[in-house]
Amino acid sequence: MILFRALSSRGGQPRMSAFRALALNQVRASMRNRVALFFTLGLAVMFMLIFGLLFGGGSFSLNLDAVDNDHTPTSQQYIKVLSSVSGVTISSKAHDPAFNDLKTDNVAAVIVIPQGLAAAVAGRGPAQQVQIYQAQQGSTSSSIADEVVAHVTADFAGGGHAAVSLAPPRTATVNQVTEMDVMLPAMIAYIILQSGINFVAIGLVDMRVRQVLRRLRATPVSARTILASQIAGGALTVLLQILILVLVGTFVFHARNYGSWLLLIIPVALGTAAFVGIGFLLTAAARTSEAARGMAAFIAFPMMFLGGIFIPIDAFPQVLQTIVHILPLTWLSDALKEVMNDGAGLGSIAVDCLVLAAWAVVTFAIASWRFRWE
Amino acid sequence: MADIEVLGLVKRYGDLVAVDGVSFRVENGEVFGMLGPNGAGKTTTLEIVEGLRSPDAGSVRVLGTDVLAHPAAVKERIGVQLQATALPVFTRVREAVELFASLYPRSRPVQEVMDEFNLGEKAGEYTNKLSGGQMQRLSIALALINDPDVVFLDEPTTGLDPQARLNIWSVIEQIRKRRKTVVLTTHYMEEAERLCDRVAVIDHGRIVAMDTPRRLVAEHAAGTTIEFEPIAGLDAETLRSLPGVDRVAHAARVSLTTRTPEAVLHALLDPQAPWARVATAAGAATVGAGASGDGMTGGAAVGAGSASGEAGNGNGGTGTVIRDLMVRHGTLEDVFLRLTGRSLRE
Repeated sequence: MILFRALSSRGGQPRMSAFRALALNQVRASMRNRVALFFTLGLAVMFMLIFGLLFGGGSFSLNLDAVDNDHTPTSQQYIKVLSSVSGVTISSKAHDPAFNDLKTDNVAAVIVIPQGLAAAVAGRGPAQQVQIYQAQQGSTSSSIADEVVAHVTADFAGGGHAAVSLAPPRTATVNQVTEMDVMLPAMIAYIILQSGINFVAIGLVDMRVRQVLRRLRATPVSARTILASQIAGGALTVLLQILILVLVGTFVFHARNYGSWLLLIIPVALGTAAFVGIGFLLTAAARTSEAARGMAAFIAFPMMFLGGIFIPIDAFPQVLQTIVHILPLTWLSDALKEVMNDGAGLGSIAVDCLVLAAWAVVTFAIASWRFRWE
Repeated sequence: MADIEVLGLVKRYGDLVAVDGVSFRVENGEVFGMLGPNGAGKTTTLEIVEGLRSPDAGSVRVLGTDVLAHPAAVKERIGVQLQATALPVFTRVREAVELFASLYPRSRPVQEVMDEFNLGEKAGEYTNKLSGGQMQRLSIALALINDPDVVFLDEPTTGLDPQARLNIWSVIEQIRKRRKTVVLTTHYMEEAERLCDRVAVIDHGRIVAMDTPRRLVAEHAAGTTIEFEPIAGLDAETLRSLPGVDRVAHAARVSLTTRTPEAVLHALLDPQAPWARVATAAGAATVGAGASGDGMTGGAAVGAGSASGEAGNGNGGTGTVIRDLMVRHGTLEDVFLRLTGRSLRE
């Protein structure tokens, strides 16, 4: 609320424009609405906390993926020896899934077994090197992986002759994202979804039902300004919550953003516009506050699970995929993840942004056409 | 030039004609009341004059400006208190006053208005936590934040307890002292009688009478009204023939209008009259006159006693018993009853 005071009372007796006064009053009122905030910002933080407890910490274990390019009993023997080391779990995978595991922090390192390993061990071919890949951020577990694999490889190659050795570790060019890194953009999307729809839809319908809108229209402020101020206030409320979430996510949960914060503003702004637009659209359909509440829940909840913030979209059957790709949340969460987890540039999120902009334009057009003051 | 000129206002909602050709003028500095039951069209008329609704026919000029053509210009110079005052949620009293101050190009200092309406103590309270009377004070304060020339108050005391109502009345009297033009609606005749210079009586969307409260009463409810429970053997025809009785209404209660109440009461209690009955058991009938009234009618009652008291001429065992007697001067309530055949609070 200090922020609000700073905004609202610059210089003794403030003389704010009606628009600013109405919008900021709306932001302040929303930020005081603890029950509503619990379901937006509160739950977002709670989800991060729960996932943090579920996936953070634990006893020592070393997960590795092995890409076997040799496909011989010898190479399988090599993998078996590695897995016999206490605490090490190793699974044989193809190249892409293995590197995907590395990216999503499922494994500490990927080991690539070269073709010709068996021949080298048998002394019938040139010497070979086993390659170990780690993510950019050298963590403790990846350096342990390095040592374990080097030791095993030396043993495996056996007595003196260096037919097989471990090549110096190489860095794979992937961003190793943690559970928290993935959660942060998902929860930003969650806040935009929930509070974008709820604060505007329920707020405006409630003001209409309780005749607050009529009272405001008895002042010289134009109807357009009143409406715009409430929508701007709703959008500002969303952005304020995102700011808080990002601060908490970064400093409490150590979530990282691999992309540009500046670029992030674009999908966040367009996503907020799209969902505030949906909320605005509901105000044209709902006659009572209860109806608005119901409609908002009816829209937000399925989208929450279908929009790729909790469940990866790839997990859905083909039929659902089509529906999923109409939902604005799908595009929003994709854009946010691309920027924050992959460090994507504007080019890779352009389509996402266009879809969100289209949603915003269409919802606002219909809503302002159908909006009822009484 | 009058502050408000309303001419031939009509507003329909489907088949319902809510406002049916309403015309009136309100002069500068006048407190003008619109008196009528719920659904009479008072609020609709008011909201058209305030520029919140558009009429199907008619014209409205406020402070010389056409409201329909230039609503914003008019809204700058008027103050409005709506019937159901609602303010944005999670807003404190002072914040609400500040918010409304910022909605006008010119406004009075927030602190001054807070002090004037005794809101200082509640400055930090959420508006939805206020009592009915406090909320209404705030709501009137908001109507005056822009120092308007004309103030509209829609049922300012409906739903308030008597204490809070008196408080609001004194607030409105303060506004009158500041020479503001005030238009208020009410269905309390006491309110109209006490506060208004002129009253328009409205029923079914029409103004059925318009004048000062005193002249309305003199014209439509002159004399004294005597009310009591019907007496066996005393029908409307007989009552009408009693000396001094001007008008008779005979329903659940008998209501006589007269300019000579003493003579009428005397005739009613005449022991020789055909309706005088033989007193039943336990001897004499109660002597004295019962008065009933709500304490605000300003009416005169004969004698004293409980609301269910009886009046009688009790010597000798025979006589007439008048139950639940009330004697009072004419009020706007009578004016309304006479003009519409209905009570204000039906």
